[in-house]
Amino acid sequence: MIAFRYSKTDEAIYLSHLDLLRHVDRTLRRAGIKVNLSEGFHRHPKIFLNNPLPLGVGSVAEYGAADCEYGGNFAEAFNAASPAGIKCLSYVKTDKNPNFANTIEYCGYTCGGITPFCVEKFLGEKSVTITDMRGRETDIIPKIVKLEFTQSGLYFELKCGTENLRPDLFCRFLEARFGGKAVNLLKIRAFGQNVF
Amino acid sequence: MNVDIQKLKNILLSCEKPARYVGGEYGAPALKESGFLFCLCFPDLYEVGTSNLGIKIVAESVNARGYTADFCYAPYRDFGAALKAAGIPLYSLGLKKPLAEFDMLGFSLQFELCYTNVLYMLDLAGIPLLRKDREGGKYPLIALGGPCAVNPEPLADFADIVFVGDGEETDALVGEAYVRCGGANEKFYDEISRIDGVYLPSRTAVNYSPDGKITSFGGTTRVKKAIVKNLDGAVFPEKICVPNCESVHDRAVIEVMRGCYRGCRFCQAGFIYRPVRARSVQTLTRQACALIKNTGYGEVSLNSLSTGDYPHLKELLKSLKAQLPGDVTLALPSLRADSFEGDFTQDARRISLTFAPEAGTQRLRDAINKDITEEEILKAAESAFDAGYSAVKLYFMLGLPTETDEDIAGINDICAKIKGLYNKQKRAKPLRISVSCATFIPKPFTPFQWEKQCGEEEITRKLDVLKRTLKVKGVTLSWSDNFAAKLEAVFARGDRKLSKVLCRAYENGCIFDGWDKEFNRAGWQKAFDETGVRPDEYTREWDENEILPWDIIDVGVDKKFFAEERKRAYGGKVTGSCLQSCKGCGLQKVCPAAGGEK
Repeated sequence: MIAFRYSKTDEAIYLSHLDLLRHVDRTLRRAGIKVNLSEGFHRHPKIFLNNPLPLGVGSVAEYGAADCEYGGNFAEAFNAASPAGIKCLSYVKTDKNPNFANTIEYCGYTCGGITPFCVEKFLGEKSVTITDMRGRETDIIPKIVKLEFTQSGLYFELKCGTENLRPDLFCRFLEARFGGKAVNLLKIRAFGQNVF
Repeated sequence: MNVDIQKLKNILLSCEKPARYVGGEYGAPALKESGFLFCLCFPDLYEVGTSNLGIKIVAESVNARGYTADFCYAPYRDFGAALKAAGIPLYSLGLKKPLAEFDMLGFSLQFELCYTNVLYMLDLAGIPLLRKDREGGKYPLIALGGPCAVNPEPLADFADIVFVGDGEETDALVGEAYVRCGGANEKFYDEISRIDGVYLPSRTAVNYSPDGKITSFGGTTRVKKAIVKNLDGAVFPEKICVPNCESVHDRAVIEVMRGCYRGCRFCQAGFIYRPVRARSVQTLTRQACALIKNTGYGEVSLNSLSTGDYPHLKELLKSLKAQLPGDVTLALPSLRADSFEGDFTQDARRISLTFAPEAGTQRLRDAINKDITEEEILKAAESAFDAGYSAVKLYFMLGLPTETDEDIAGINDICAKIKGLYNKQKRAKPLRISVSCATFIPKPFTPFQWEKQCGEEEITRKLDVLKRTLKVKGVTLSWSDNFAAKLEAVFARGDRKLSKVLCRAYENGCIFDGWDKEFNRAGWQKAFDETGVRPDEYTREWDENEILPWDIIDVGVDKKFFAEERKRAYGGKVTGSCLQSCKGCGLQKVCPAAGGEK
């Protein structure tokens, strides 16, 4: 099995997760990297991606794994056959599926355009409730791992998995609360036991 | 000037499936501006348009001559409204260039119910809809092509050029003339009017009698369709782009043959794509291998109107299996029941198989020249069941000429026999049968072109007969919307008087008429009421001596042949395949099967 870190940038930020999976599959086919198939009636290539990125959010920290034996330079072969914006940034060989969808705990994002505000004061609030995509009320404070302004804009880390907070929703909240318009939202790193 | 990307980004995320609108697909050529900028416009969604082979062939031929062929698809309502609100004109996906800045836009007409989408796209592009409002060379040439262009008259007032027939060369030849003549001047129109397959609606006048019937044509009175004689050597896109989001036919496509030997009397495609021309096994294998290598698709579809009639099918399947990667599956979407053999489909997942008996009794199948027996249908079904299929979809038509209630009741008999065959053996799953009924549409350039289309009441009654007589358990029945079928007949056989109806329907909000959930019956009815055009004028029986709106177009098949075939239909006589003997349809000189062109 090969685990790989890849980007989802440029026009690829508008691809849905299912379409992205198809593109990764086809990239591997075009690259001549043979991926093992699942068993059963509807056999499909064993490719595993981390949790979906919201549409419109870029990333240089997506992770995936493909059940394949490939002796050559995986990144070179992948990148020669991949669509613009979907590029392998690094890869490792691994014995078992790193299961990125479950093992990535939180991710770091950058964005510009949000009007500066006092981070300490905001994080000091007892609870801040927003309405998520399913219409449920959720307290976002425990889901924020880190939040700081840097020279280039805002950097923040949000939890994934069961405590997930969507970065685009978080930005919509910040826009409404503090003003400005988030631009160039980009996932730049992921944290978890199998990331590299 | 190209569209403002930042403005575009601001609206993309407010719309469903933004990947439709951003371009940048894998395999899309890096386009450069040239002396002739052509945008192929598909009046339906991205997912539908990116599955179309015709526009890719035309683009390939234009690009091969050093010109520029870009693409644009109809945006769904949400994105269309967002574009208007943001003041962004409709643009091409490759160059991100407003459509109004191209030299020519080519709309591919696959289906009559996409006509309002042509107006929708022109409107979003800020281009006046009617030709008379575009004079002065400020706007691109508006061209139409595709199968519906054999009767372009309902859209004649909107178009500058209509491409009739094969598109491998004609569009590109017009591009060459455009560059040579320095634009769309009189010299250019004179030159292109001499090219086979080019119809200039402005150079043909249609004269009507007071009761609305055509009395004569003035100016150019006959336009021959373009025919590619050497299909095997014709331009074909072996490097195509892979759509950003899943398309309706998400696979590689090779065109095995063009045309059909059968001549089913209701089928327009069976006549307008004549003569039948086939590609060689060697060429098809090369094209399939190149497509798989370039796209990464896992399936190749062997397309034609009747792939089972391809004379070298077994050899082709053997060659493809030997040369394609082992996990690539083959799809044969247009197999006639009499050419079905279980081993043809061994690659595919064995679930559902579709047959089109079209009519419930042998008498009616003979009348429509379907030339298939019940025995052949049952043999094919049994062969499919033995190959592992557990679901069958059956296509029928209601309202066919000479149809009686006994013919409709015959649909139940076929279902019962198919079910009986399945249950002869113990099988893991129960059989699922889906019966799908479409309303018969009398189309131009068929032996039934003069026929009356059954009215809505009569079709509803026929459907009731079907519902009452279809008693086999486990059969699901679906049918098409009567009014949409009527509209399709009206525009298939329409004339220039319909342009005002189209304009009004578009103003009434009618777009995406081919989509059930979008179909706006009230908007259409209002459009007919407001313009005083009676749709029944177009669905009535036409006299064989009347001048037909599409008489201006010559697809190569004699009108007399159609009339004779119509007589044979009423006599219940089967004409049979061109492979058995030449029937003298009029294309003998260029037909390989008739010994014309080899």
